[in-house]
Amino acid sequence: MKVSLSCGIFLLLLLATLPAVAKEIHATVVYDDRATEINPAQSPDGTGQLWITTADLTRSTRFEVKPQGVCRDELCFPLPTARHAEFLRKESGKEWFNLTGFADLVHQPVARDAGLSTWYFGLRSEQRQKLASQQAPDFTLPDIDGKMHSLSDFRGKKVLLVTWASW
Amino acid sequence: MKDAGKWITDAKPTYTALIDQEHLVSKLYNMVNVPTGVWINEQGRIVRPNEVAFVDERFKKFTGLDPAPYLNAVRDWAEKGEKSAYVMSEDQLQQKLAPPDPNIAMASAEFGLGEQLYKSGHVAEAIPHFKEAQRLNPKSWNYKRQAYALSSEKDYGTTFLDEVQKAGGSKVYYAPPDLPKTAETQEKKQ
Repeated sequence: MKVSLSCGIFLLLLLATLPAVAKEIHATVVYDDRATEINPAQSPDGTGQLWITTADLTRSTRFEVKPQGVCRDELCFPLPTARHAEFLRKESGKEWFNLTGFADLVHQPVARDAGLSTWYFGLRSEQRQKLASQQAPDFTLPDIDGKMHSLSDFRGKKVLLVTWASW
Repeated sequence: MKDAGKWITDAKPTYTALIDQEHLVSKLYNMVNVPTGVWINEQGRIVRPNEVAFVDERFKKFTGLDPAPYLNAVRDWAEKGEKSAYVMSEDQLQQKLAPPDPNIAMASAEFGLGEQLYKSGHVAEAIPHFKEAQRLNPKSWNYKRQAYALSSEKDYGTTFLDEVQKAGGSKVYYAPPDLPKTAETQEKKQ
């Protein structure tokens, strides 16, 4: 009896010294209007934060963690050195990235549906500033036959861009 | 594709007609209604930003807007390019293209989430997000009309026409294009 009680106390002490492991969940990330299912993800209770593995970061957003920052093609956002732990941590043999923390860093609005565990990432600040530069934001969309066209394909011509809807 | 496609097939346009299921262009250009027109020059620079762009008279009775002045302006720009009186000045462009407040960006994210949930079959769950988008950006008719079209106006406790009345009626529903009075148009009036 004495032995088992000692074991119980030892186990409790051991559990108390382990770092809190966030519960793993299934999440849907919508980035650039493209949905990616993420499993596992982590969302510490009550924070609304979303942590995903660095592999899933690249899969869902095409951003990669590099020594110089979080980068995609020519675009690179340095992570503040003093705040590194807010964005990256190693756990369960994986490297985790705080995607909502990164959105906050780059002034990107995030809408969340808690019930469906879905996070939608809107336009980052540098994308929203594009209009103020008077340069027409580029886009690529299909015609009725599925052929893709970019606004930039029309460079050298005047473009009258008109939107309509079938409501 | 299903909704927009039949209009394109019937109209057989000679210009490029694209289908924007995600409302990407509205999001990138901060558009709030249709039809909206933007003039973009040969270098990819905006020379007239968002404005109502009717090209025929089918809604003239409802809106009170005559499309002729806008079409004349487009023709003038096509002919004269940067020398057209309808190309906006640097000051006008800076004013009209100033970045919107953060609520507008958040509204766009809520709307995008609503669209995503709707597409994945969660129609009821999409509604609170469409409502939030409308609350954050009440000037967007695109948010109202798309949401009504995806479920029912009943889900929003209003109708499109009620909303138009609240905004002051159909004759002020669209702000008319801000076209300068050129020497040519002055002459025609005399």
